[in-house]
Amino acid sequence: MTLHTASGSPAGDRRTPMQKIAARLEPWLYSAPVLILIVAIMLVPLALGVSYAFRDIRLLNPFSGAFVGLKHFRDLAGDGAFRGALVNTLWWTFSSVILQFIFGLILALLLNRPFKGRALAQALCFLPWAVPSFLSGLDWAWMFNPVVGPIPHWLYALGILSEPSNILSDPETAMWGPIVANVWWGIPFFAITMLAALQAIPKDLYEAAEIDGAGPIERFRSITVPFLAPTMAISILLRTVWIANFADLIIVMTNGGPADRTQIVASYIFTQAFRRLDFGYASAIALVLLVLLLAYSMLIVVLRQTMLTRH
Amino acid sequence: MASITIEAITKTFGTVPVLNDIDLSIADGEFVVLVGPSGCGKSTLLRMIAGLEDITAGEIRIDDRRINEVAPKDRDIAMVFQSYALYPHMTVADNMSYSLKLRKTAKERIAEAVGAAAGKLGLDPLLARRPKALSGGQRQRVAMGRAIVRHPKAFLFDEPLSNLDARLREQMRAEIKRLHKSIGATSVYVTHDQIEAMTLADRIVAMHGGIIQQVGNPLDLYDRPANLFVAGFIGSPAMNFVEGHRRAGAIETDDGSKIAIPDGVQLAEGQAVTVGIRPEHVRIVAGPEAGSYAARVDLVEPTGFGTIVHVRLLGQDLKIYTLERGIAAVGQPLHIALDGARLHVFDRETTNRIG
Repeated sequence: MTLHTASGSPAGDRRTPMQKIAARLEPWLYSAPVLILIVAIMLVPLALGVSYAFRDIRLLNPFSGAFVGLKHFRDLAGDGAFRGALVNTLWWTFSSVILQFIFGLILALLLNRPFKGRALAQALCFLPWAVPSFLSGLDWAWMFNPVVGPIPHWLYALGILSEPSNILSDPETAMWGPIVANVWWGIPFFAITMLAALQAIPKDLYEAAEIDGAGPIERFRSITVPFLAPTMAISILLRTVWIANFADLIIVMTNGGPADRTQIVASYIFTQAFRRLDFGYASAIALVLLVLLLAYSMLIVVLRQTMLTRH
Repeated sequence: MASITIEAITKTFGTVPVLNDIDLSIADGEFVVLVGPSGCGKSTLLRMIAGLEDITAGEIRIDDRRINEVAPKDRDIAMVFQSYALYPHMTVADNMSYSLKLRKTAKERIAEAVGAAAGKLGLDPLLARRPKALSGGQRQRVAMGRAIVRHPKAFLFDEPLSNLDARLREQMRAEIKRLHKSIGATSVYVTHDQIEAMTLADRIVAMHGGIIQQVGNPLDLYDRPANLFVAGFIGSPAMNFVEGHRRAGAIETDDGSKIAIPDGVQLAEGQAVTVGIRPEHVRIVAGPEAGSYAARVDLVEPTGFGTIVHVRLLGQDLKIYTLERGIAAVGQPLHIALDGARLHVFDRETTNRIG
């Protein structure tokens, strides 16, 4: 018979043990399809990828696959190319994000004021976003090529280059090629988000400030910036993670060269995995990048929380 | 404090005319209310005084200084917006002192001015709060405080009470009036609510279709509306209108009833007119008397203080406003007399008042 314990089970529960188990299982059965999908699509590959980092997996060696423990990580610690890639990643990420942000904000401010043909101008300005990244990478690589592209000749005419050479083949300047392409390609992202935020600012605030005596710069400082700040912070932080992982343009334009001067961590992973076919080592690098980006993402979450509680 | 002169002001948006040849002069210390239905151009006129809207043609002067090309911040005016337009990231004190800070006023002077304004408006306990933490009425007060700390030459109000509920609106209305009495600054106030216009104004400017219909003190507009628009707009419940023609020494309405022509009204035989009579000037009489009409009660609307009785009479739905209770039930026959001295006669073609 039923036991009357402190567990709070209702008196007179006459269900059989089978029925109780079924009742307990019911919610899990309802959510099973989603859980199975998540496990199969996200967790299994992730676990597999993480496990590669501790195994010797080289596609060209049929006898590889053995567990090697922390060997890859020890190798990484002494890998000068990896350290160079880390520095390049910082350089690539922050200059791309900052330039994208500044130009995107300027574009959004310009597009926010009424003028004739604004709808068309908006559509045109958002066009780069629709171009596949590989295609824009190829385009920019050609434009930097003095044989087919105009840019080296322009830079030479402006006196910036001493001769019309390809900046992508000069280790000192090569990183600027993918950065310029990335800025061109990513401006619309910031322009769209900033424009949306700008359009949410009530117009009478500007009018009230104008009557209060605020000039254009003061109005920007005391109304536009505070209103845009939360959007700015979140879009910059999200974009940073995204660009740090974004190797398409570098792979297409310089393939990490010359002399690894444009190699970022993401492109280094790609090189290790698909050119050297060393999946184990590539997975180890990816794991390090994952941890770094996770730490950075936690920063986003904390920042957002503090910003939300302040408002 | 200052006088405002508006001369032959015209405004078009593209090809759409909004204001047409407006002339108005506002005396020093006067409280002028621009009233009219939405789209009549009253807000546009106010925004032109503020400098937020370009002037297509004409001239606006403050104290005899032409301000057409003067930037809003140099006109020395303050404006209260319908949405209040408070800076959401600033505290109440910062909102109020913002304009003084921009004008590089000394810190002590700012504190003094903000303190005085806050005291006047009962904002002292709220100074450290942000607008988000305030109620509608409190925000309204902050918007007013922001305007008065500066001691501007003129106050402009753009429907400042429209976003408040009825009770709060009544309260703020009285407060604005009291404030104007104590500060005495020239004020221009835009509203679509004729009660606000009547209660607040030294002078009402009734506007319709981009044209000034009548300018006068509130009771003038109520007693002697210049045309059909003003007659219908001012007063609640609205004036009754009966259409008719002058025939055989009287006004014959479309259903054949006769209304005696009021003294001082000259009409040509057969002239088409509209007769206006306010519901409060229609009397319910005990029995038939000279010039009275028989009618039947159609609808009764008690408002608490008085009662609005609808009857079918003179070919239309005629409203009667009476302070006596229980005088009429639906379907009951009534005798009705019009107060001859309170009749308004308008020419139906020009819509202008006759006599």
